[in-house]
Amino acid sequence: MDPSNDPDQLGLLMRAAQDGDSSAYLRLLKEIAPLLRRAVRQQRKFLQPSDVEDLVQEILLSLHAVRATYDPARPFLPWLLTIARNRVADGSRRQMRRTANEISVAEYPETFSDAETNVLETRYGDPEALRQAIGQLPPGQRQAIEMLKLREMSLKEAASASGMSVAALKVAVHRGMNSLRKALSIEA
Amino acid sequence: MDTDQLIHKLAGQTVPVRRLPAPWRRAAIWLAISLPYVAVMTLTHSMSMSVDLTHLLSDRQFVVEELAVLATAIAAVTAAFCSIVPGYDRRVLLLPLLPLGIWLFSLGQSCINDWLRSGAQGLALHADWTCLPPASLIGIVPLLAIVAMLRRGAPLYPRITLALAALAVAALGNLGLRIYHVGDASIVLLVWHFGAVVVLSLIAGWIGRRVLNWKSARLVAFQ
Repeated sequence: MDPSNDPDQLGLLMRAAQDGDSSAYLRLLKEIAPLLRRAVRQQRKFLQPSDVEDLVQEILLSLHAVRATYDPARPFLPWLLTIARNRVADGSRRQMRRTANEISVAEYPETFSDAETNVLETRYGDPEALRQAIGQLPPGQRQAIEMLKLREMSLKEAASASGMSVAALKVAVHRGMNSLRKALSIEA
Repeated sequence: MDTDQLIHKLAGQTVPVRRLPAPWRRAAIWLAISLPYVAVMTLTHSMSMSVDLTHLLSDRQFVVEELAVLATAIAAVTAAFCSIVPGYDRRVLLLPLLPLGIWLFSLGQSCINDWLRSGAQGLALHADWTCLPPASLIGIVPLLAIVAMLRRGAPLYPRITLALAALAVAALGNLGLRIYHVGDASIVLLVWHFGAVVVLSLIAGWIGRRVLNWKSARLVAFQ
């Protein structure tokens, strides 16, 4: 039977994961990822697929952090969905805070017509170029930039998630930023 | 990193975790730490102020009030521990309202009795700042213990959780304070003692997110 259709089975897998069974934990996380994707899409219908994925990852990291709170005597799905709902609500609050001070305009007003005053915008204002430049980085540097700069994880969290040491992450992110600066200044 | 990679990373670092005991059990542990401390502090102060405990315990009003205060502390701490475990019905957070209501009603009734007995003079309010240091001291151990215990959980409603924790600590402190701080008019108890409990809970609720949040929960877990 598909465990994602059987909450008791998911509870048993979580119980085994709490006891240190990594294959049970892997199976559990794989089973619940589609459930979480569905739950996030249901709650936030207007999200882009990449944003949905970000939230799913956020929920998985949170679940991992508080997995000791699961009581095998209690049902698994309400436990999981409470965490999911909470993280989705936090995500909405974060987004509202971010967009509260943003004003959508078709064109940015120019304070001075001189090209020098607009150098910073033209140089760093192309997200597509940045995305491509990140894509061309070596895997280690790309992973470090993604986790520390884009996902804003702490060094400790990133080290735990990637298996790299904190020092290696610092070096990788420093080199990655230098490479990005070079790549973007050449393109500009 | 895509989700599949993250899942493999997380599964790769699986270690056995100690399951969190049930909320009522954690509440009992907190009470087992805090009550003896409050009792010792209360006895120390009572002896220096030569309080007649037998006389106090024969006062029905006093006993009802103290029982309501103790019930408030127990209900608030249980609700606080329930609030950090995903999957509990959120109505459990309202648990302390009943004993809190009884406590407030009891204080209100005493105020009315004082007013009927002595008129406006019975409701004269005065500030006694000398009780501030012992009142603060009596809450230190329960506060440290509850914050440390709450950090091992899911910060789902941090403001409410910390407000409930502060309510539990303040109620427990009041339980002792009321014994060695005898002779206070009911209005003083209502405004200063009960008021302090409300203010402390509100302040705790205000800073809740700074003390309990997902970032620190992850740091605790990944340590």
